Amino acid sequence: MNQHTDRPGDRYMQTGWHMDDDMTAMYAEGLLSPTTAASVEAHLLACARCRELLKPRVAQPRLDRIWDEIVDVVDAPAPGPFERLLRLAGVRHHVARLLAAAQSLRLPWLAGTSLTLFFAALAAGETTRWGGIVFLALAPIVPALGVSLAYGRGADPTYEIGLAAPYSAFKVMLLRAAAVLITSVVPALVIGVALLGQTWTVVGWLLPALALTSLSLLLSRWFEPVHAAGGVSALWLAGVLWTNLHAPSLAMFGGAEQLAYLIITVVSGGLLFLGREEFS
Amino acid sequence: MSVVVEGLTKAYGRSRALDGLSFSAYQGVTGLLGPNGAGKTTLIRMLATALAPDGGTIRLLGMDSARDQAAIRRRLGYLPQETGYHRAFTVFEFVDYVAILKEMVDRRARHDEVRRVLAEVGLSDVSHKKIRALSGGMRRRVGIAQALLGEPALVLLDEPTVGLDPEQRLRFRELISRIGEDRTVILSTHQTEDVTALCARVVVLKGGRQVFEGTPAELRALADGHTWLSDERSGVLSWRTGEGLFRNLGDAPAGSRLVEPTIEDGYLLLLGGIPAGATR
Ligand SMILES: Nc1ncnc2c1ncn2[C@@H]1O[C@H](COP(=O)(O)OP(=O)(O)OP(=O)(O)O)[C@@H](O)[C@H]1O
Ligand SMILES: [Mg+2]
Ligand SMILES: [Zn+2]
Repeated sequence: MNQHTDRPGDRYMQTGWHMDDDMTAMYAEGLLSPTTAASVEAHLLACARCRELLKPRVAQPRLDRIWDEIVDVVDAPAPGPFERLLRLAGVRHHVARLLAAAQSLRLPWLAGTSLTLFFAALAAGETTRWGGIVFLALAPIVPALGVSLAYGRGADPTYEIGLAAPYSAFKVMLLRAAAVLITSVVPALVIGVALLGQTWTVVGWLLPALALTSLSLLLSRWFEPVHAAGGVSALWLAGVLWTNLHAPSLAMFGGAEQLAYLIITVVSGGLLFLGREEFS
Repeated sequence: MSVVVEGLTKAYGRSRALDGLSFSAYQGVTGLLGPNGAGKTTLIRMLATALAPDGGTIRLLGMDSARDQAAIRRRLGYLPQETGYHRAFTVFEFVDYVAILKEMVDRRARHDEVRRVLAEVGLSDVSHKKIRALSGGMRRRVGIAQALLGEPALVLLDEPTVGLDPEQRLRFRELISRIGEDRTVILSTHQTEDVTALCARVVVLKGGRQVFEGTPAELRALADGHTWLSDERSGVLSWRTGEGLFRNLGDAPAGSRLVEPTIEDGYLLLLGGIPAGATR
């Protein structure tokens, strides 16, 4: 156990203020705003005098609870930057921890893929002939590959432990898939709109992204996620390459095609849901 | 009886990893002993509900493992043979992560439990360290710690003592025998000393079948009158000891210098194999 468990306050500097009767009463009643309450608690940690002041106002069990809570905050290590960011965004603590375990939700992957798309879009802006094709081709692969790197035996070192744990592996997969989708789609959207202008073509990759991702998820029932996503992405790239062999073409992004991507997404999603038992 | 296994089979392609295996385990520590490839890991993964058998039945804690998976998983602790770790996590974060997978949602209670298991394996002092900064043996202890979360009724440990130094192995034995007082612990090992020191019962696997089930004393007794020392090589198994004599296993010729067998002698005789480093 940590050396400061009994008297966590010893590590803290005294602050220049103390609680008055009003504040103590409000804190005891739980009427303070969360921010004020938090700074009160930080102060309580350091100040025996204010702790004494609080004692008669709060039932002992509750006081113990508060005290425990404070000790725990001091004792439990502060989470990494990504987890803190998630919490700021309103994600609950335990979900944030589940997400933070995925490598494709960590900075290196996010930065790497965003930079790739950034340069693809930059390059696209330079050459009018091939327009944004490269960008449009790459953008859907990023979430599909990212999702595949977020779960499963190959990517998750504690997958085996997770299989034997009650928390549903399917739920973990969906949580991470959703998080990866958000963290890869948003930067891609921003980059596309900022660098390629505001025509509908800059969002033409959105449905393909959903289709590739959901199809890869479904296929991971039978294959390693990375293999599934790799295969699906390779097919996609081959399609884009084929339609662009002779002249730049948006053939893969037309209306009928978009409808097809939507159908693929919905059907894969449905099958995924029906087969959810297979994932745990 | 906490674990009853009957007629378990599992094939990988043509090779049979388990071939009609049956055994039972009670409260206390049961050791699984067997050479490489005997099927220990396959069996433990099935007991952990991480792998479905091709045939046969498993009853755990009075429940059917095919049907009551969720309920079983809530009362299970599992250390896989090859555990990975999220290397960016600290020790505390990692164990906390597994606790979340074990559905411990209340943060306070969960953090207390994490501290408790870390103290059990003597890792309190490094709980704020990154996992990647730990030695291999310390990581193994992190693995053992997570298997103790939530005071599981059934603890499955696949080669838990690999990589532990003698002092830690001693501590580990003490810990496991304490846990085994009111719980069922099943551990696989290559170390016959672990079995001698820890296990009330031992099951020997060979080629996916159970070839022995009984107490360590009974296993040792198999070699009673079948272990002797001589100047010349003889018996079915024989190796030169440090003193220059040969230790022989098999049918002792009349008038030979019989010696007290060890569990290892019984085990080797049972397998009819060759001990590591021995010459025939
Ligand atoms: N995923 C797999 N694919 C194919 N064969 C496998 C797989 N897992 C295990 N096997 C085979 O099943 C048999 C039993 O393996 P298992 O890992 O259960 O043995 P073990 O007793 O745990 O061995 P060790 O002492 O080396 O850990 C071996 O022949 C092994 O090659
Ligand atoms: Mg094994
Ligand atoms: Zn004060």
